[in-house]
Amino acid sequence: MNHKRFAGRIAAFALGLGVALTPIAHAASVTLLNVSYDPTRELYEDYNKEFAKFWKAKTGDTVQIRQSHGGSGKQARTVIDGLPADVVTLALAGDIDALVTNGKLLPVNWQSRLPHNSSPYTSTIVFLVRKGNPKGIKDWGDLIKPGVSVITPNPKTSGGARWNYLAGWAWALKQPGGNEASAKEYTRKLFKNVPVLDTGARGATTTFVQRGIGDVLLAWENEAFLSIKELGPDKVEIVMPSLSILAEPPVAVVDKVALRRGTREVATEYLKHLYSPEAQEIIARNYYRPIDAQVAAKYASQFPKLDLVTIEDFGGWAKTQKEHFADGGVFDQIYAPQ
Amino acid sequence: MSSVERQQARAGAGSKILAASVVALLGLTATGAHADELSDLRQRLDAQERQIQELQQRLGQREAAGSTASSAQLESQQQQIKVLERKLELNDEAAKAAAASNPVVKAGPKGFSLQSPDGANVVKLRGTLHYDGRYFLDDNAPDSADTWLLRRVRPTLEGTLNDIFDFRFTPDFAGGKTIILDAYGAIRFRPWAQLTAGKFKVPVGLERLVSGNDMKFIERGLPTVLLPNRDLGVALGGDIAGGAVNYSVGVYNGVSDGSSSDSQGDVELDSDRDWAARVFFQPFLNSDNFALRGLGFGVAATYVNGTGSVQRPGLPSYRTPDQQSFFRFRGDNAATADLNEATYLDGERLRVTPQAYYYVGSFGALAEYARVSQDLSRQTASGLHHGNVDVSAWQLALSYFLTGEDASFKGFKPNSTFSIGRPGWGAFEIVARYNQLKLDDSLFEGGSLSFVDPLTQPRKVTEYAVGLNWYFNESFKWQINYENAKFDGGGSALGRDRGDGEAILTRLAVGF
Repeated sequence: MNHKRFAGRIAAFALGLGVALTPIAHAASVTLLNVSYDPTRELYEDYNKEFAKFWKAKTGDTVQIRQSHGGSGKQARTVIDGLPADVVTLALAGDIDALVTNGKLLPVNWQSRLPHNSSPYTSTIVFLVRKGNPKGIKDWGDLIKPGVSVITPNPKTSGGARWNYLAGWAWALKQPGGNEASAKEYTRKLFKNVPVLDTGARGATTTFVQRGIGDVLLAWENEAFLSIKELGPDKVEIVMPSLSILAEPPVAVVDKVALRRGTREVATEYLKHLYSPEAQEIIARNYYRPIDAQVAAKYASQFPKLDLVTIEDFGGWAKTQKEHFADGGVFDQIYAPQ
Repeated sequence: MSSVERQQARAGAGSKILAASVVALLGLTATGAHADELSDLRQRLDAQERQIQELQQRLGQREAAGSTASSAQLESQQQQIKVLERKLELNDEAAKAAAASNPVVKAGPKGFSLQSPDGANVVKLRGTLHYDGRYFLDDNAPDSADTWLLRRVRPTLEGTLNDIFDFRFTPDFAGGKTIILDAYGAIRFRPWAQLTAGKFKVPVGLERLVSGNDMKFIERGLPTVLLPNRDLGVALGGDIAGGAVNYSVGVYNGVSDGSSSDSQGDVELDSDRDWAARVFFQPFLNSDNFALRGLGFGVAATYVNGTGSVQRPGLPSYRTPDQQSFFRFRGDNAATADLNEATYLDGERLRVTPQAYYYVGSFGALAEYARVSQDLSRQTASGLHHGNVDVSAWQLALSYFLTGEDASFKGFKPNSTFSIGRPGWGAFEIVARYNQLKLDDSLFEGGSLSFVDPLTQPRKVTEYAVGLNWYFNESFKWQINYENAKFDGGGSALGRDRGDGEAILTRLAVGF
């Protein structure tokens, strides 16, 4: 019967096609996409080299890591909208929570899958002022004085800006007679002194350092050190406020993407290796505060001790996000574009 | 120069540069939602500049008094200008970022499209409308053959999904009926491996592969009537060596000569599938030998070993390019009510078609030969007549742009377009074609057992055509062809020829 012959031809045709296209199904090397926040460019450029060497030695496989950087909130939105991130290394847990609630891209318990709430390094918020500190800025109270121009990115799009905002809020609460209303009024005055809102921390640094705008930059500690390293200590200097906030930038595998791309194992190892002594050294050299005790002790002089509040003092990220940064939240109430 | 003068000079020069850059930025970005904000920024910038000018005047007045207060004010003003500059910069960045995520809408002579920013997803709307006039100068065609008609009415929706998945859907509403002309999906695994499934043009005939929008003549030549048109099937094909070699191998339901599967209800024609293959070479396509870049040649074939029936003979009738039927196999004989005496396909059918084209400058040539060898049977009261017969055809078609455009196999762009009150008449092209179709003598042998009626059917037709194409622009053209056909035989008596066919065809063509 001709039908059998025809079926045989089709089978042979399909087999031939399959053989011809076999190379498509087996990539020669693994590629990961790390979607991160603004100031981590240099950190992950260094770390990716270290991990590629580690992975090659361990498995013999070649791994290439691509990086994407931007305001943390904006980056989270991009991943929710379809950017195929194997891992995210964002500025705050709230942005990764958004991947859970809005994208179902990873499980609710993502933060417990790695040590230290999935934060392999910490940082804090400091002031970067021009050399000689011509406006005499010493603490948060100086930022709301008339004539002081403050540079910070937009809390709607930047994780760093949310840490800035909360650090200032915490300081205001701790002032004599401080309460929610006084903190709100302080923050309103603070943002009244902000002439430009960049979308991310790196953009704000550009505004302050490259464009010469403003008297003080509210900066990630690592970003402030990096600016001094690049510009020289004769151009800018760091001012440590009396109180700041412990920023815990978390990392997570985006399971849905990694499973689809077959990269979950290497993605998980990529994040786990951040806790290794080798990686912690790289972290410290890039001015992030390491969590490894020995490495932290080695770099203790680089990171002065500060009085730090934590996000838990605000009730956690879910509550803080809703109250302060969601549409109609406190920030929307107090901020009027200049 | 004093420090104040230097500050004044810097401020003056800075404000001019700033004004120029703001104007440029406004020109680039003053669209949509940013327009209001930019307008506001511009007003504020103008106000700042006025203040600076006033300040400069006042500084000049107070210089002698050594005022330092004005210097501080100037510094403050410069900060404000920097802020405005930075805001414009951020607005520009935001506009660029928004543009990078917005879909791209295009409208042009080749149709309309909607495309994702990364180009991986595209939907295009295209169309073809051919409005024809036919005027016959001979006595063969009936009076009703002089007519206007809609030859093609074809909207096309086509596109790409996820970069490698293509689709196309084209109905045809011409002739007062609706058919599905093209409906297929394709996966481009590699440039050399594209898998296509559905209903589409069987890649065999060279002239058949010319898009309806790019046809040089109003109707295709005689070799095309022997080769398959559109059919349902699956094919693997692609380009090798940067397009220097193109190939296709596929299996199809099968169609009779020159036909589309819709003429048989879009189902299998006979008892087995048809195989079709084609390989085409353009050896100089990527070379620096521009004189030979437009040279292409190849060969294609179809094969089936199938069995038709008197109910579905699998055999066509043939038409001259002016669309007049001139040949048919024997059908049922009404005199033998209990026996269907129609000729039908019964065994192997092999079509082979060597083909070539050459385009250089404004000149184009297309040459094609087609030969069909097929096993036929015919059951009559006198017995079964079975045999293998050949039909062959060839053509040479030439074209030349009088207005100097570059000719090519896949369309062209006019050097000018026709419009009222402006210079330019569009493009003009002259075309000429000589073609012939010959039927095997064995078709006519056997007296009453023959596969073909030797009295009424011609053994050969030789046809030539000349024409003029006027391209108003890339999408509109008007064509006129003169067609002349001479027949050997078919004059209703042995040794007598059918009268010459002579026709003028015109077409208004819209294609985008």
